[in-house]
Amino acid sequence: MTEPAKEEPRRRIGVVVCQCGGNISDYVDTEKVRSEIAKEGDVVSARVEMFACSDAAQQNSIEEIKSKKLDGIVISSCSPKLHLSTFRAMSSRAGLNQYEYTQANIREQCSWAHTHDREAATGKALRLVRAAVAKTAKSEPLEKMRVETTPQVLVIGAGVAGLRAALSLSDMGITVHMIDSADHPGGHVGRWGTLFPNNKVGKTVVDGLVQDVRTRENIMLYLKTELVEKSGRVGAFNVKLRTGNGAAIPLQVGAIVVATGFEPYAPQSGEFGYGLPGVVTLPEFKELLGSRSNKPTYEGKEVRTVVYVYCVGSREPAEAGNPRTYCSRYCCSATSHVASVLGAADPGLHQFHLFRDIRTYGKYETMYEHALQSGSVFLRYDEENRPTVERDAKGLVVRVKDRLMAGEDVEIRPDLVVLVTGMVPRANEALTRVLKLPLGQDGFYREAHVKLRPVETVIDGVFVVGASQGPKNVAESVTSALAGVSKAGALLLKGYVDLDPLVARVDPVACEWCGECLKACPYGAIEEVTYGDKQVAQISPILCKGEGGCVPVCAKQAVSVLGYTNEQMLSMIDAMSPGIPGKAGAPSLIGTTSRKVPVKEGA
Amino acid sequence: MADVGKPGQEYDVMIIGAGVGGMESALTLGDMGFHVLVVEREPSVGGRMILLSKVFPTLDCASCISTPKMAAVVNHPNVRTIIYSEVNDIQPQKNGGFLVHVNRKPTFVDAAKCTGCGQCTEACTVSYPDEFNYDLVTRRAAHIAFPQAVPKKAVITRQGTSPCSFTCPAGVKPHGYISLVRSGLYDEAFDQHLEDAPLVGVLSRACYAPCEEQCTRGLLEGPVPIRGIKRFMSDRYYASHAEPTYGRPEKLTGKKVAVVGSGPAGLAAAYFLARKGHSVTVFEADKEAGGIMRWGIPSYRLPTSALTRDLKNITALGVEIRTGQKITSVTALGKPQYDAVFLATGDTGGRRLAVPGEDQAGVLDAMEFLHAVRDDHPPTLKDKRVVVVGGGNVAIDSARSALRLGAKQVTMVCLESRPEMPAHKWEVQEAEDEGVKVDVSWGVKSIPSTGSLVTGIELKRCTAVFDAEHRFRPTFDEKVTQTLPADVIIKAIGLAPNTAPFAKEIELNRNGTIKVDAETLQTSLPFVFAGGDSVIGPSMIVQAIGQGKKAAFYMDRFIQGLDVRGARPAEKLPEADKIRVASKAREDGTIRAPVRVSRLGTKERIRDFAEYETPLTEEEARYSSSRCLDCGVCSECQECVSVCPADAINLDMRVQQETVSVKAVALATGFHPFDARQKPAFGYGKFANVITGPQMDRILAPTRPYNAVVRPSDGKVPSSVAFLLCTGSRDEQAGNRLCSRVCCMYSLKQAQLLMGALLFSEVTFYYIDIRAFGKGYEEFFQQTKGMGVHFVKGKVSRVEEADNGDLTVHYEDIEGGGGHKTAKHDLVVLSTGLLPNQEAFGLFPAGALQKDSYDYVREQNEEIEPGKTTMDGVFVVGSATAVRDIPDTIVHSEAASAQIASYLRRKGVKV
Repeated sequence: MTEPAKEEPRRRIGVVVCQCGGNISDYVDTEKVRSEIAKEGDVVSARVEMFACSDAAQQNSIEEIKSKKLDGIVISSCSPKLHLSTFRAMSSRAGLNQYEYTQANIREQCSWAHTHDREAATGKALRLVRAAVAKTAKSEPLEKMRVETTPQVLVIGAGVAGLRAALSLSDMGITVHMIDSADHPGGHVGRWGTLFPNNKVGKTVVDGLVQDVRTRENIMLYLKTELVEKSGRVGAFNVKLRTGNGAAIPLQVGAIVVATGFEPYAPQSGEFGYGLPGVVTLPEFKELLGSRSNKPTYEGKEVRTVVYVYCVGSREPAEAGNPRTYCSRYCCSATSHVASVLGAADPGLHQFHLFRDIRTYGKYETMYEHALQSGSVFLRYDEENRPTVERDAKGLVVRVKDRLMAGEDVEIRPDLVVLVTGMVPRANEALTRVLKLPLGQDGFYREAHVKLRPVETVIDGVFVVGASQGPKNVAESVTSALAGVSKAGALLLKGYVDLDPLVARVDPVACEWCGECLKACPYGAIEEVTYGDKQVAQISPILCKGEGGCVPVCAKQAVSVLGYTNEQMLSMIDAMSPGIPGKAGAPSLIGTTSRKVPVKEGA
Repeated sequence: MADVGKPGQEYDVMIIGAGVGGMESALTLGDMGFHVLVVEREPSVGGRMILLSKVFPTLDCASCISTPKMAAVVNHPNVRTIIYSEVNDIQPQKNGGFLVHVNRKPTFVDAAKCTGCGQCTEACTVSYPDEFNYDLVTRRAAHIAFPQAVPKKAVITRQGTSPCSFTCPAGVKPHGYISLVRSGLYDEAFDQHLEDAPLVGVLSRACYAPCEEQCTRGLLEGPVPIRGIKRFMSDRYYASHAEPTYGRPEKLTGKKVAVVGSGPAGLAAAYFLARKGHSVTVFEADKEAGGIMRWGIPSYRLPTSALTRDLKNITALGVEIRTGQKITSVTALGKPQYDAVFLATGDTGGRRLAVPGEDQAGVLDAMEFLHAVRDDHPPTLKDKRVVVVGGGNVAIDSARSALRLGAKQVTMVCLESRPEMPAHKWEVQEAEDEGVKVDVSWGVKSIPSTGSLVTGIELKRCTAVFDAEHRFRPTFDEKVTQTLPADVIIKAIGLAPNTAPFAKEIELNRNGTIKVDAETLQTSLPFVFAGGDSVIGPSMIVQAIGQGKKAAFYMDRFIQGLDVRGARPAEKLPEADKIRVASKAREDGTIRAPVRVSRLGTKERIRDFAEYETPLTEEEARYSSSRCLDCGVCSECQECVSVCPADAINLDMRVQQETVSVKAVALATGFHPFDARQKPAFGYGKFANVITGPQMDRILAPTRPYNAVVRPSDGKVPSSVAFLLCTGSRDEQAGNRLCSRVCCMYSLKQAQLLMGALLFSEVTFYYIDIRAFGKGYEEFFQQTKGMGVHFVKGKVSRVEEADNGDLTVHYEDIEGGGGHKTAKHDLVVLSTGLLPNQEAFGLFPAGALQKDSYDYVREQNEEIEPGKTTMDGVFVVGSATAVRDIPDTIVHSEAASAQIASYLRRKGVKV
């Protein structure tokens, strides 16, 4: 028998139940959750808000924290991914340590998941809030760790996006290391002729940037060079580059901007006749034209009739595993532009566009207009009834059912077929592995949040810009590159970064070095040190990400993550489980809750 | 909170517009350590995004994504956000920076005191289209922009002073009490009037109501019967309140004031001075108080009872009225008797015709005649022939009184032609209706008599009353004459001021009126102020009240020993734009026939001196007040003032200009939504169930106006919804060749939300191309298709409405065999596009900021230098340079921030 547990002093916890303007309250009885949670011992205030994140509601919470002298607050609303930082900042403004705040997710994990059972959803929401209260009851104030940042950035990829990013970083006084696996800078744009919509020449644009880059003292350009290792933390990454001749260059950089671009889709042999003489892709056609704007020739012969087949490698059906379901965004505009330039120079040129939807968005609409005005003919095809491209004795023949003429069969005999190919992600497996960057379904790098953090990634300090994140034209790539620059600037110009203290800690008394935690840590944050007469594990709070892989592997339960201590997790489970059918009277779900995990003071 | 900065501060960058783009730029630059000023014209930050339901393609809730940014931007230590403010101009400086003038529009609510409790919005008596719900519903004039507004503070919409309130010389606010009557708050309506002017009952009968002449409804079906409404509310109030509910003010100053004359000017001055705590004594020469109101205006227009009750409102404050006391010297009233004196002796003196026969017994002075009638010993006019000389209000009153005394025939003769007659047209009409003959353009040549009895009046043709400078200088044609037989002649040819006794003490004008400082009404003797007809000549009661009120303001300052000219009474806002209000009302088609104030028949009327106007019934008063167009929006009814627990309302707030200097400027001014009225064939604005995309988003939003997805006309749940894409986009005729980029996607999103909310609804898209080009967009389009939305490629030519509100869409069915087809839907959503907001160009010296060919702010080099305009140090963010969806706007805003940071660092700005 154990002694009766000593009564711990009561906490003063406030709870806010958010309705999320109906997102929660349409499916969860928020008032019931509020009135039930108000009965909990540590809860001294419980309110319902329409939008807990609104400024007015935050003011209410701040007022409540101050007037009721709260020492912990629980906001039951959406995913912490959305508002954890919002409410932490709010707690700080109220003078409450921000780590005394807990978010209970009763939206994604409750109201949205149980839209057809209000009663059960309400019960579940209450359990989730109870768990959050239990966790908060055992929370303690923590401080962020302020660490210095290195005012240097690694830019990966010296295409138009990378070049432009480097220049802007340089302007800000940040040193740039720019690497590219090719033997010359400039990427795809450097090989293109005229660009839409302003008829600039790709090579000229890129040459201008390269020239500027070469004059900057604080930009180092490494060609035929790759990133092979990355460790460290945001603000101070240790990276290792490998040059073409095998030399390794170690650097410390504060941030990494990934501008690795795209690849043009390479059609399969036979796809819309690809491989037949006279069938080329759009990039091939553009290279063929160079900076010329009239009288296209193919293998020495003047081209009088061109057929463009749109959406090659884009907007494909969502069959198992096919990532190319997306629209490549730039191709309609690029093709309309080419056609309008050619058509304007030579009204006798026959241009037929086999399209699905013309997506010349925004101001690019005028290029479509110009293409139409200069004699281009647009025929609409169906995904189910794709056009065919063949070659017979008389040459190329294209057949299409034109939806705009009630599905009439049309046959065209062109001199040249241009397959309007989209963009696909670059094959970057090695780099992706080194950076541990997540990919989207489309295979492009995935941003942290398309609207809240469009160039940031889940790895703090690593930014994805340009076409590496998804198809873009030149202006859009550069815009995205500069967005990455602004985020890198916001990170580095201050000279420091505040890191979350929610990291793993080792109890050296309990630890009897076995090395399991070291093996489990993907961040190299753990080392073996001497502690009195024994060896124990020590965790660098700077390198640790608080990921917690080390916690379950410790046989001695000597490791714990601050803010998510074993004690907190177990009390959450206990708070959540009462009354679960079949579990009544059952022992605690995991181990025992009476064990106290010592936590060292300070950080 | 937001307004932490002090005027005159310097900033590294000013961002105009706190939409999603401006906020993102501000946060990014603030995070870098730059000092940022954000200027937002609306009462809340958040722009258009916060008004959306969910956002494509992830269906995140727009509020969830916007609100943290909104809170962050106003709380960021490096960012100062000022809302409800507009940049007036931006002057580039020699050193490369900019001098900026910002107009901080008055919110009429002290933001430091307002807690956002919303009580004012509930108390407010004026409805106004809710722009944040794209006019789908109304809000109040006092409002909080929307539930998630940041800062969450009330704002009162005021678009000038309503013409009725603007014109009232006594500072009464008809718009205020009308909006209160409309709301059924009759006692409050009365109280509000009493706050602005006493003598409510008198005015409700005898005011010539210049407000009604100014009423904007007068430009439409006819003015609101403002005086009738006033009579309704005052009669109703007096019926239940025989005595005033208040007494002497709690704080008395111990100062004493004498008022000479108990006409409207004197009583008004006494009332307002007494409210200030001064002891006021009114001296009245006549035997009863009221002046012209008691003795000059016939009781069929103004019964004594109304005046008697009105007087109680004044005497309740402790004002002592001493009747039968004629004052002949003001100096005698000076200290130590009184600290100040107000002279308001009026102008009841008659003028002379200066013609032979004028001094005979049968020739009466109008004022004496009217006084005698009111004093119950009228001259005997039974079966007499009466000629009234004069064309003004007094002449009319005299003529009509003569009729009521049984005169056989009453004729008015005057110098003026009909349009020149000083009397109101309706008065002349009423007099003629009752049987008065009006003979215009005659001067009096002589009054023949038998020696003791007047036999008639000899008239000569008046050829002109005024000279070229519009001075009164009549000319006559002596050859054209006529003689009217008459027994009695009543002279109503103008009034002379009763100022003769004071001529030696204070300066008078040549015409006998008292000389005063036009602003303060102070006379040449500093402790003596004067007002009313003895200063301004013959006027209306309401003007005289205004004079008394004004004098009281300055006399109070004089008595307190303050610099008399050191302050002015609160000025009204400029008059609201009547033409705009009227044309809006015409557009909205809100025709409402006026209620005519009914009157007794003419035969009944002239039997006695009883009131002949029938008061409005409650129903008529409510209906009539509901005809008010709320020209200035806020009616100044003061309900918000009385309910605000924080005492935060301040209707005297005015525009304040702030000057700041900034090193860089970022234009995040966003776009203009296309006005669907520009496509009249689609019926927007005419057919209730034709709505725009932004309105559909509001209907679907969590803070939705109807709390359900229903159509506006009848609240029916729509079972067939049509989306008309490219409304105002890709359309040369509508003035916009460009594609608006967002409409396809927002329509697809709305379709998904609709199909989720209404399980059995059919959704049809009429489209040209579906432009799902962004990350995840095509997949979203395919998903929508998979949910069963119908896609019809073809343009819609017109929409027709059936009696039940259903709609017929006429379209060209391109892929279904071609030709013109029709389809029925019960709700049509116009997927309206976005247009450039061109306001930024006007902020700079002419031509300094270049436009592109589509009137967007031109990016100098869109491929390589996004966000940079053609002006050094001026940057452009998001849709101000080309419309964008939210992800593209955010990326562009961040890019512009990098450009701004690079620029500032090159300029040597340290962070």
